[in-house]
Amino acid sequence: MRSYAAQRAGLAVVQLAVLSVLVFVLTSLLPGDAADLRFTETLTPSQVAALRGELGLDQPPVERFVHWLGNVLTGDLGTSLISGGPVVDIVRHSIGATLVLTLATLAIVVPLAVALGIVMGTRENGRVDRTITSITLALSAIPDFVIAVVLVAVFSLKLGWLPATWIGGNLLSSPALLILPIAVLFGRTVCLLSRQVRAGTVAALNAEYVTQARRLGIPRRQLLLRHVLPNAAVPGVQELARTGDTLLGGVLVVEAIFAIPGFATALVDGVETRDIPTVQGLTLVLAIAALLINLGADLVCNRLVPRTALLR
Amino acid sequence: MSPRSVRGWFAAALVMVPLVVAVLGPLLPYDARPGLPYSSEGALGTDGLGRDVLGLLLVGGRSALGMAIGAVVLAYVVGGLIGLTAASTRHRWLDEGMMRPLDVLLPLPSLLVISVVAVGWRASALAITVAVAMVNVPTVARLVRAAALDAASGPVVEALRMQRESWCTIQLGYVGRSVLGPVAADLGTRITLAVFLVASVNFLGLGLSPTAPDWAVSVSRNREGLLLQPWSVLAPALLLVSFTLGFNLLADRLVHRSRRLVDSAR
Repeated sequence: MRSYAAQRAGLAVVQLAVLSVLVFVLTSLLPGDAADLRFTETLTPSQVAALRGELGLDQPPVERFVHWLGNVLTGDLGTSLISGGPVVDIVRHSIGATLVLTLATLAIVVPLAVALGIVMGTRENGRVDRTITSITLALSAIPDFVIAVVLVAVFSLKLGWLPATWIGGNLLSSPALLILPIAVLFGRTVCLLSRQVRAGTVAALNAEYVTQARRLGIPRRQLLLRHVLPNAAVPGVQELARTGDTLLGGVLVVEAIFAIPGFATALVDGVETRDIPTVQGLTLVLAIAALLINLGADLVCNRLVPRTALLR
Repeated sequence: MSPRSVRGWFAAALVMVPLVVAVLGPLLPYDARPGLPYSSEGALGTDGLGRDVLGLLLVGGRSALGMAIGAVVLAYVVGGLIGLTAASTRHRWLDEGMMRPLDVLLPLPSLLVISVVAVGWRASALAITVAVAMVNVPTVARLVRAAALDAASGPVVEALRMQRESWCTIQLGYVGRSVLGPVAADLGTRITLAVFLVASVNFLGLGLSPTAPDWAVSVSRNREGLLLQPWSVLAPALLLVSFTLGFNLLADRLVHRSRRLVDSAR
């Protein structure tokens, strides 16, 4: 167990190193930098060149990378080229709304998906299973933004029950703001997750150790909770890590539609204004978050069903 | 017809309608007359810029579906070759050397990569297609490698090798064919995902220009007018959903069928 955790953590460290290079390369590749994007109309070419020197944009990429990495390791993500403030502040200001949105969605989705998955899995091919499967299959085929556009039109424009866009204030103190965004994020994640839990439950129920446990007369309730659920949870937990990716895409769309000043909004703004340090900082934080989620998911899976050969 | 085959035809029809509109639409001699914003002139009314909705629908499918399909094909060509090579090589270092770097790339958030690329090469459909393909390569390579592993190490490949058949004949002709089942099942969900990614980037305004006739861009641009002229949003949205839903249903059927085959073979 410990050696697995050590191996997996080792992989995560390598991943982190590669990702930091990738983040830097990808963002550096963006054609056009902040200097010529903002000032070409007001400044002469020589002034633009001077500004570029000031911002450090004229140095060779490798030198810039070493410089950037050195700063990142000391917790300094650089200075925004647009606002002039530290990127760490931008991260701090925007991360709250995104975290609230994501965690609130997960808090609703995970228990519901596990319950649905078990209900479906224990009634394999029954009427309940087929009905829920069809619904989840159909729901997961609708893009987030289509759901969002329709929900906003019906519930805020037509009926006027819920706010259509962010009107300032705290997300936590006015939960009405959260209802529509969460409803949008909820649909696809619950479908993807519950299908995995269902598949896991079906596989576990058909396994020989469950037949054996039944023969031993273990009560059904205990059988489901103690023996089937841990095994059924493995594909679910792995899917949850992958759902992080789907969810992030969804959050990006949702924040744009509801004008929520979160991580995604900051990122889109940064990319559009070529504010490279901001984009680098935000991307790095997101990549690290994704990495930790994957690491956590693999460790949890290994704990639920210890296998030595999870790493090839 | 049995209910099963009825459902199969239904799924196929769901896929075919948007596909036919996308392919043949631009060829139709449709006379699109501009009118007032969100008016009910023309078959499906006009959009926020006063353009004929039906006319836009007919030309907006190529980018919406073409980019996604192109990306999936590209992902399968690159990822499939990597997966096949990794599965069939007798050198462990080559297998590790090709698959390990992909493991590292897995946790990279896909919409993030695509957004950065899309903005960098603004309005370049090719750049977005390549980016969507690249974020799919690691998972495709893994899938193909896993599916090909059994066939690639079996006695048939040994025999073919002894007969000095070429790498292409063995890998693409024999091992590649054994991979087709899992690939077909994966294709449905992957195309759906690619359509989502392409559409999300365009919807966010990071991809194609905001006046492009693309279906996703239309949904985004006209969303304030949903109550004034519903078809300007619903028609492109329905075509997108019909395509992804149809592919999801087809993929689900394929998964069931291959499972039944496996069961009956036991």
